Amino acid sequence: MNLESFFNPKSVAVVGASNTPFNLAATICNILKYKSYHGAVYAVNRKAEEVHGCPGYASVKDIPGEVELAVILISAKQVPGVVRECGEKGVRGVIIESAGFSEAGPEGQAMQDEIDGYLKKYNMRMLGPNCLGVLNAANSFCCFYGIIPGRYGDGFSTPGTVSYIIQSGGIGALVLDSFNKDVCKVNKAVSIGNMADVDESDLIEYFNGDGTEVIGLYLENVRNGRKLMDTARRVTKPILAFKVGRTSEGSAAAASHTAGMANNDIVFDNACRQAGIIRLKSISELHAMPKMFTTMPLLRGKNIAVMSNSGAFGGIAADLLIESGFSMAKLTPATQERLAKTGQLFNVKNPVDLGPTLNKQTFVDIFDILLSADEVDGLLPVPNVWLDVVIEAILELMAMCRHYNKPAAIYIPNAIDRILTIREKHGIPTFESPEEATRALVVSHQQYRYLQKKETGNHENDLNRRAKPEAACAV
Amino acid sequence: MKTILTDARSRKQRALSEYDSKRVIAAAGVPMPREELVASKDDALRAAAAIGYPVVLKGCADTLLHKTEKNMVFLNLASPDDVGDAYDRITGAGEPLDGVLVQEQVRGGRELVIGMVRDPQFGPCVMFGLGGVFTEVLRDTTFRVAPLSREDAAEMLDEVKARALLGEFRGQPAVDREALIDALVGIGALALENDEIAEIDINPIIVAGDRPVAVDAVVVLRRE
Repeated sequence: MNLESFFNPKSVAVVGASNTPFNLAATICNILKYKSYHGAVYAVNRKAEEVHGCPGYASVKDIPGEVELAVILISAKQVPGVVRECGEKGVRGVIIESAGFSEAGPEGQAMQDEIDGYLKKYNMRMLGPNCLGVLNAANSFCCFYGIIPGRYGDGFSTPGTVSYIIQSGGIGALVLDSFNKDVCKVNKAVSIGNMADVDESDLIEYFNGDGTEVIGLYLENVRNGRKLMDTARRVTKPILAFKVGRTSEGSAAAASHTAGMANNDIVFDNACRQAGIIRLKSISELHAMPKMFTTMPLLRGKNIAVMSNSGAFGGIAADLLIESGFSMAKLTPATQERLAKTGQLFNVKNPVDLGPTLNKQTFVDIFDILLSADEVDGLLPVPNVWLDVVIEAILELMAMCRHYNKPAAIYIPNAIDRILTIREKHGIPTFESPEEATRALVVSHQQYRYLQKKETGNHENDLNRRAKPEAACAV
Repeated sequence: MKTILTDARSRKQRALSEYDSKRVIAAAGVPMPREELVASKDDALRAAAAIGYPVVLKGCADTLLHKTEKNMVFLNLASPDDVGDAYDRITGAGEPLDGVLVQEQVRGGRELVIGMVRDPQFGPCVMFGLGGVFTEVLRDTTFRVAPLSREDAAEMLDEVKARALLGEFRGQPAVDREALIDALVGIGALALENDEIAEIDINPIIVAGDRPVAVDAVVVLRRE
């Protein structure tokens, strides 16, 4: 089955939704009705009662017509029977949000085994168990439980191009909420839970072909590391991963020094580099970094030019860039001469210091001179916004970045509410600190290098594939 | 090579002896010192003369995982008398031995490590880093999941903090990078092809001139 049924079902049964107070499954019916989801939504409960306007049935099998997806939120011991009924009904996919399976000891594992049997027998796919479900901003399909209509409404009322695979409901809520005031928005988000069937690799593969531009991962463990690496090598979209959970599983029984040195986290870190996955350093980078990819070209080299209205920020940015392995671009005498002609600059060397410039054209000229210079691969502009003309100049900078195919990681050194307002109101992809802007350049360049490696790798694989039949003929 | 592994497994060995470990990893492309496993003092003296003084003598057995702590390693033996004396002390210690290993004394100021470990999720991973007695103290190592491309291996050499040691260093030439890359790629392939190998330690790899030489190694076997 194509994973599409999880994101765009023509009909969905919410198993466990009832009118009992505080019933969690009922919140799924509620949000789907509130968002006017285009597909048919049914409630399945003992009394066969209607829930939030969704017709009720006592069993999935009683529902007239096709049921493409079943969302199951009932006590664990009832789940295997319901999954069997779903199979008999011809349901294509099940999302099991209930907990109490492999994570809960041998009894839970036995129930998981029974479910696995039904999935195989009836050729169904499963998301979860122990998960929050799926959100698709493009068609307003949302089966996250516990969402109160209106409260998170803005977070996914505007569909975007960033998709998330998240192994935690709490992190999912944080990331979605953070997009309220950002320039890029969410396409899809999946909470994957125990990954007993569909895992992070299946979803990365799916997001490679659904209009997603950036893939974000929050992982606590990896189900199949080699599968993840194989998938990541094929996918050319940026994959940003934040992972927690250092385990000593690998080193517990170690006899060699090598095993004593390895832990799962170090191995994961190096595997990311090998397979072209960008490892994030903090949870906030999950929502802060995607805009660098959706709004800016990739950083193709390591020479960065900094410009600011204050020598202090020039110095701060220079330190951060050097610490991150970049070079401060050495501006040629010709470039410096051009800069000098723009007006009264305090410093025409990198970091370029404009001083308290008032003229929009001066900003624009400087951006143009720096971006067009061969010795500059990317920009870290730190323009203080005290006049609206600066915002106009930054908007022109964004067009220039596309024109010259070089990125700018913009940091506006104003108070945070000002930054957020500028970002939201004008769609300027400004970062919230010089550290964040520097990291944006790092991940952009990392993706550029990964792409080069992936292209060579895929090219070599093609050559090998082509070479094989000939070799067989020669034998 | 496969025979060494299957024989050791059938004898329920936890690891291969140093001599057998080296035969297995040499087949994977790791450069070795000149050495010979002997079972008599006469053979030890003959081997030492053939290899050229000074030499190293080590007790060799699969059960001997901490040779230095058990006084089973004698370095810088410059004469037949020294070799005879060391041979007596190794064989007189009461440890079960496969034989005594006579090895060329490899000289060089730079010590590296290559290793292999199996991760529960990612499978065999190859390690490279700063070797010698400080490996675990400084933890200057990096890993790659097998199989390794030559590019992966080259990146590993550039990733460790001690990478400056691989260039020209205190009058010594730069290390033969291709030899290290061959070894890293080879160990990855060895691990993928042989499930019975659980872990590998090649430590130290001493850089003699520009040539990395695996002076000590252990191949740990998978337990049932």
